[in-house]
Amino acid sequence: MSFQADEMDDIINDFLVEATESLEQLDQKFIDLEKQPNDTALLNDIFRSIHTIKGAAGFLGFQQMVDITHCTEDVLNKLRKGEMKVSSGIMDTILKSVDLIKLILNNIKERNNREEDLKPTIALLTEILEGRFKEDEPGEASQASGKTGESEDEHRQARPEEVGVAREQSIRVDIERLDSVLNLAGELVLSRNRLMRLGGKFSDSAQDSDLHTHVNEAIAQLDLVTTDLQLAVMKMRMQPIAKVFNKFPRMVRDLARQMDKEVELHISGEETELDKTVIEEIGDPLVHIVRNAIDHGMEMPAEREAKGKPRCGRVELKAYQEGRNIVVSVSDDGKGMDPEALKRSAVEKGLMLAEEAEKLSRSDAFNIIFIPGFSTAKAVSSISGRGVGMDVVKTNISRINGTITIDSEVGKGTRITFRLPLTLAIIQALTVEAGGEVYGIPLSNVTENIRVTAEEIRTVEGREVINIRDRIYPVVRLGSLVDGKSGSDRGEWKYIVIIGIGEKHFGILVDRLHGQEEIVMKSMGEYLKGTEGVAGACITGDGNVILILDMAGLLTSVQRAYVH
Amino acid sequence: MLDQNMKILVVDDFSTMRRIIRNILREIGYNNVDEADDGSTALEKLKSSKFDFVVTDWNMPNMPGIELLKAIRQDEVLKNTPVLMVTAEAAKENVVTAVAAGVNNYIVKPFTAAALKDRIDIILQKVNA
Repeated sequence: MSFQADEMDDIINDFLVEATESLEQLDQKFIDLEKQPNDTALLNDIFRSIHTIKGAAGFLGFQQMVDITHCTEDVLNKLRKGEMKVSSGIMDTILKSVDLIKLILNNIKERNNREEDLKPTIALLTEILEGRFKEDEPGEASQASGKTGESEDEHRQARPEEVGVAREQSIRVDIERLDSVLNLAGELVLSRNRLMRLGGKFSDSAQDSDLHTHVNEAIAQLDLVTTDLQLAVMKMRMQPIAKVFNKFPRMVRDLARQMDKEVELHISGEETELDKTVIEEIGDPLVHIVRNAIDHGMEMPAEREAKGKPRCGRVELKAYQEGRNIVVSVSDDGKGMDPEALKRSAVEKGLMLAEEAEKLSRSDAFNIIFIPGFSTAKAVSSISGRGVGMDVVKTNISRINGTITIDSEVGKGTRITFRLPLTLAIIQALTVEAGGEVYGIPLSNVTENIRVTAEEIRTVEGREVINIRDRIYPVVRLGSLVDGKSGSDRGEWKYIVIIGIGEKHFGILVDRLHGQEEIVMKSMGEYLKGTEGVAGACITGDGNVILILDMAGLLTSVQRAYVH
Repeated sequence: MLDQNMKILVVDDFSTMRRIIRNILREIGYNNVDEADDGSTALEKLKSSKFDFVVTDWNMPNMPGIELLKAIRQDEVLKNTPVLMVTAEAAKENVVTAVAAGVNNYIVKPFTAAALKDRIDIILQKVNA
């Protein structure tokens, strides 16, 4: 084709996006197909996806893509016409070629001019076509996976219509443009905050009451519109979590087959929407946890039967909204974790002293798996041990202001729950003052604020604590924590902000509480990036720059202080 | 007779394909192009405004190209609209079906701009003869 170069680039980008989407949906369809090998509609659907990719690839001159899709299409064509039956061996081969298609797609994306070795797969496909194909192993695992989950069934049927409608009414926008709109909306929020602050002052001093009514009206209107705009921009960045969930059916199937385990995956809430950045960040942690669930959590089928459990294990992937958070959980009905065994193991690995381990509560004992160095398996299996431990999962989730909780019962299974923010761009913060400086604390971390007198803060074993309704919280003085100076004792009332991160709580002692503000967090830049306890900075309504505290980081310092 | 203002409807479920065809059409001088992503949306568009020419893919969800063709031929108003069917080489046997259903011509993917121009010219000559 003789299109102009940039036009061509544009079309190729379109192709990449559309083909990727199409392939993502294919994974689910293949899993469904294994359960219902005679579903002609499904086969037609799959055939069409591959056929379409081939068609466009032909125009764009991606020869490798044409070659592999061509053979795959031929096999699918025979299957859909009923000239052949779907077997696990055939399925494996088709899945292999889909993997190749993904690889080639990636090569096109990276413009690396790499050529994949298609020969072995094309040879297998040809064998299938010519009826010479031998099943190398009885695909017990896949056939035994049994009846279809209802939710998956619905899922498959709902999909085509949804996509059809969405495609008609949507346009693709470069993410950079979207981010710049988001950034501008953020700046607008700052200006509005500032204007609101000034408007207040103006009303106090203005002589002309008519004028200040008008100004206030205008500001109120601006406030309203800004809030709506913020929400609208936020929604533009939202994507359904299905984008992440889609890859799991295939992954679970492959893992189970590889390990001769029987696992059924149930997905719900895939329509739940999350910020694009959050979506991108939770992929790897989720993969890690699902792998763990199957590799470590799930027993072998025989073992399960011996325990009186169903042969086929169950892994559940769930997402739903809860207030300002999105909750994503992975639960399995495998062997579960024993808190006492975790404690022993941590002590053996030298990560903890025996007496420390003894003091841990049940939920703290589960948190042991997040200690760096704990979960990195000794024998690196190809399944769980990718050199990534649960500590990395935790770090990734904290980075997007999320929390993780673990709940497990020996013999019954494990549930790992992520609580994630709806959006990262604009956060609600509590502004506090300590040592003459103002700081922001993300409101999502704040459990409550209390006013205390200096006497109420007790010292136990050299540590300051506060007793609130019979619960003891460690207390840190923000003033001394951030600038080394001890907080002044001026004024008899003190304020303590109780922070909750997951199951952990502690109090921050501050001199004054300023109020609640919507802030747009900016990074600290390369030089100051990674400063412990500081998440970023922002400009407040009065035009000042304040630091936003990173509660997860502070908690680490608190815990460290506790150990010493 | 060539009318470069001829209004063409491109029907394909894959938006990249619609864009490719649209570009090729532009290359050979046709700029008045609209798109539909399957047979039923195409039919709606055809019924709500006047199109002079339809280029449709065969294999689409919901309403495939062949059904669209049949629907056009059965419609009192639309029945004379020229239809060019885009097929893949594997589906050549389909061409017989398409001809029986009244397709004006067909073209095999991937095609060049010259080939598309050729097909359109042939169809228009016959229609205008």
